[in-house]
Amino acid sequence: MSREGRVVLALGRRALSVQFRRAQLLLPTFVLPLMLLAVIASGTSAAQGLRGFPDVASYLAFVLPGTIIQGALLAGLTSGIALAADIEFGFFDRLLAAPVRRTSLVIGRQAGTLGLSMLQSAFFLAVAFAFGARYPGGLGGMLAAVALAAITAIGIGGLASAIALRTGSLSLLQSIFPFVFVLLFTAPAFFPRDLLAPALRDVAPYNPLTYVVEAVRGLLQDDAGLGDPLEGLLAAVLLAVATTALATLALKERLRTL
Amino acid sequence: MSDSSSPAVEVRGLVREFKGGIRAVDGLDLELEPGEIYGFLGPNGAGKTTSVRILTTLLRPTAGVARVAGHDVVAEADAVRRSIGVALQEAAIDPLMTGRELLRMQGALHGLRGAPARQRAAELLARVGLTQAGDRRVGGYSGGMRRRLDLALALVHRPQVLFLDEPTTGLDPTSRGALWREVRSLNDDGTTVFLTTQYMEEAEQLADRVGIIAAGTLVAEGTPAALKARVGEPTLHVELADPGSAERARVALAGLGSLQPPDSAAPCKVELRSAAGHGAIAPVIRALDEHNVVVESVEVESPTLDDVFAAVTGSHLEGAGAAA
Repeated sequence: MSREGRVVLALGRRALSVQFRRAQLLLPTFVLPLMLLAVIASGTSAAQGLRGFPDVASYLAFVLPGTIIQGALLAGLTSGIALAADIEFGFFDRLLAAPVRRTSLVIGRQAGTLGLSMLQSAFFLAVAFAFGARYPGGLGGMLAAVALAAITAIGIGGLASAIALRTGSLSLLQSIFPFVFVLLFTAPAFFPRDLLAPALRDVAPYNPLTYVVEAVRGLLQDDAGLGDPLEGLLAAVLLAVATTALATLALKERLRTL
Repeated sequence: MSDSSSPAVEVRGLVREFKGGIRAVDGLDLELEPGEIYGFLGPNGAGKTTSVRILTTLLRPTAGVARVAGHDVVAEADAVRRSIGVALQEAAIDPLMTGRELLRMQGALHGLRGAPARQRAAELLARVGLTQAGDRRVGGYSGGMRRRLDLALALVHRPQVLFLDEPTTGLDPTSRGALWREVRSLNDDGTTVFLTTQYMEEAEQLADRVGIIAAGTLVAEGTPAALKARVGEPTLHVELADPGSAERARVALAGLGSLQPPDSAAPCKVELRSAAGHGAIAPVIRALDEHNVVVESVEVESPTLDDVFAAVTGSHLEGAGAAA
């Protein structure tokens, strides 16, 4: 492995391990999505009987992709929050004073986000399985769903990191938290796109998460009619590449104007 | 390329202007020889930290040139980063990580891996007396322990030049003493140390040379002794047992220095200025004894770097006396 690769790995390892030592980051990323899943799975299961609702064996398995993508959103956001904290409390200066490529500092943070999202998705899949969800897509479908969520987390993490690098403000990042739910509920996270309210249905095609959550659903249910994996992959990769580039530019701008 | 004959730090006409036209550093010139401890002394807001941030590549200069270990801080920033160790003000250490984890991570940032990285972390923990605490989270460390860890982190890659920005601010005297010993020991190993401080005692104790900065400009520079000599010689305050012996005392001491005019409010006191300072105590007592003058006490008051600061700027250092 190259020297920069080891730097990325070290920074990713640090980002991930610190995540598990900070309750205020761990609770929203692992517990909150499961709480919402429990509410939706138990409180809205009657939706399964609506005309136009896809024929699925398990309602829990149908809504689980929404939880997985919520986890990815929160993983990305907490990554930005942690970066803003590093900037505000001076730890980022320690990294900047080291002889490493500036882009490695962004990619290292993203590596931690990737790891966190994969652990989250695996955890959500296991918990839902324990409560009766089944995945006809098998292990391959699950792995692909986990990978898709991880790429999405990188996309959101890139955006949050760009904001952190641009502003250096921890409180601003924390105030963005409610927007996670706007993004989530303007995508067919828990209901089929056709059954969304007309206004949401009109917005959904412009939300990249729509394609990702539908793709995860299609992969887990082994039903391309529920979501096209390639469309989901394209949306997630485009989001990740664009926002990581944005974060890198934000870092360059930050260093230029120091 | 750096070589052993080039200055460890060379600064010419350095300027840093912030928004609103505020000049934190205003035409700074400095030169540090390899292997010296340079104390950068000044009050809060004098431009010490801004200068260090420029020299450690964390801030770009508005004008001027700065070279560290022979490398330009703007054009060869990466080479500078490989040559320096930095412990910034208010040790920025992730409280959720352990000391050993931080040292391992710092090692990875400097290209160390595997067994050598583990060994270096253990070595440095031992060096700064944190072996027992190495696997505890830094959040539970005391201020002194954090500073020592910060110093260890700056040493992971054996830097040529070590920048310490107010390393003992807020520390108790024991922790301060421990850190001073470590800095001296590092310097004995050949590391050039650039130390900023607002404590004159720290500068006097540690630095081979001291630069005094005020309003972003270097206002005085030299060895602590030379700087103090600029503002005057040490004064010996002699307290006599009998006020009636004052005249005899003045006759006895006439050849040993410059006698200060008598103070009618303190008839038992005689003041003598002598460049010999503490070295003049024995001759003074002998001379007084020969003239049958009984002495209660002799005290030597030397000029301080605060006196130097006051002489060149007209104001006093905020930390004057705080480190005592």
